Amino acid sequence: MYGTLGTRYHFNQSFGRRGERAISLPNISLEQLAAEVSNGATVGLGGAGLQRKPMAAARALARAGRRDLKLVSFLGSLDVELLVAAGCVGELHSAGVSLDGAGLAPHYRAARQGQTLTFVEWSEGTLLCALQATARGVPSLPTWMALDTDLPALNPHLREAQDPFTGARVMQVRALALDVAILHAPAVDAHGNVYVEGDLAIDGTLARAAQRVYVCHEGVVAADPRRAVLSRIWVDALVPAPRGAWPTGCHSEYGPDLPAVSRWASEGADGDLQLLTPNGSAR
Amino acid sequence: MSGVADLLTAALAREIADANIRVFAVTSPATVAAALAARALGAPNLAIATGFTALDGSPLPSVTLGEAGLFEAGAALRDDPFDTFVLLARGRAGVAVAPAQLDRRGQTNLSGVGPPGRPKVALPGARGLPDNNVSPSRVWFMLAGHSGRQLVERVDVVCGAAPPPSTVRRLLTPAGCFELGETGWYPRWVTSQAPELVAAAPGLGIELTGQEPVVDEPDPVALAAVRRADPEDVRLIEFAAGAQAAALYEAAAVREASAAGARRGEQRATAGPVSS
Repeated sequence: MYGTLGTRYHFNQSFGRRGERAISLPNISLEQLAAEVSNGATVGLGGAGLQRKPMAAARALARAGRRDLKLVSFLGSLDVELLVAAGCVGELHSAGVSLDGAGLAPHYRAARQGQTLTFVEWSEGTLLCALQATARGVPSLPTWMALDTDLPALNPHLREAQDPFTGARVMQVRALALDVAILHAPAVDAHGNVYVEGDLAIDGTLARAAQRVYVCHEGVVAADPRRAVLSRIWVDALVPAPRGAWPTGCHSEYGPDLPAVSRWASEGADGDLQLLTPNGSAR
Repeated sequence: MSGVADLLTAALAREIADANIRVFAVTSPATVAAALAARALGAPNLAIATGFTALDGSPLPSVTLGEAGLFEAGAALRDDPFDTFVLLARGRAGVAVAPAQLDRRGQTNLSGVGPPGRPKVALPGARGLPDNNVSPSRVWFMLAGHSGRQLVERVDVVCGAAPPPSTVRRLLTPAGCFELGETGWYPRWVTSQAPELVAAAPGLGIELTGQEPVVDEPDPVALAAVRRADPEDVRLIEFAAGAQAAALYEAAAVREASAAGARRGEQRATAGPVSS
């Protein structure tokens, strides 16, 4: 059931209703998704904190043995933990990674303290600017954010500059381009439009800054396209992934599995990925 | 513990109500409780922002704050995530944050302890501190403790820059309410614990004269509004520590999961049969 979004179709149902046509977007498996992401790719993951993290896709990337990914997670949690613990990440771009009320993220913390990966530290606003620059097709964008901080020393995409018209100091934010964006949504419709209840976070901006966009979803609904939060024109392929955000939540379908999150906070430092694998499933 | 939680949450509620802001961005259960209470304390039209695209809602104080569906009323509008930063830039927003370090110039840190880029202890990351601190909008720092570890002469990593001179920045701690002025932090009101607590955190440079108003009990009207907004006392979690915080968090998580399950059950009952 998709809250108030619409009526659910069964996965095997044909889309023969009058006025609707079958999904024309490719419908691919998690394995195919992982196969389409190359080692070293810049990969943006949707959601924020403990909501709508594409965990099934992250597990698929780990199973496929991806290496040296440049991972972009606006506000990360178990998505970052899983991929760092699995050795998939060479460079991490984020404005913050934690397990919210459950505490700090052990692998993220260890990786930064041991400098075992390149961490590019952003603020929320400057990361949004970097993705918007890519979306707008410009090499950089100026902002007032992050001026007079240590961030330019921690992030080669940030450089203080002078506005050419007024001479004012600005922070120039270099564009950050994604090879791939992977989002997780509670529902898509028969055309491939995407529906999310609650906070969309920056998923829409990630989609517009990526060469290819994959939307993992909990199921297909008949919904009013005017309520879609992301048009199918930004989507390249749909990936069925029921409960695919677990242990993070997918609002309107299920909340974060807080006991599982707490377990990772206390026991995850050893990197036992079974803790992030659903019971009785290879997924 | 509930003494400090109630004192500071009620104080923040009054501050928000009196701040003449259009939108308050919530960051924790206590800030949700304070924002909802502020509506009852003279700011009935205050919009509350949850996450990056949910505006004008009435979120419930909850440990699953990111789950924007925890609304009792109001819309969860889908909007451009950049709106948050537009509101900050225009001075129309307010936010209360809890940096890991705050210094005498009002600089903040949530990146790590140790030199920039070489953390001895890596913390979550800069988050929105570089964006809100330098903005003309209102920023409150609300901390569960008044400790020398957190209140320092200079932060290890400058995430939030020293605020522009014309902006209002206030600090709420168990020692009282302090405001950042041209020469540093000065007290607006203090608790009776202030002399001891302030002396233990000398880095911040606060000087007490002994003439400050002493406030040990929350304003009863503000406290009543806070309790109405947060009947399950979720705000207490962020003022607790160690095992007590863990136990409160666990109890809240169980309660919220069960409430969410019940809400989904209601939606099933009202949304009609599943087509299959």
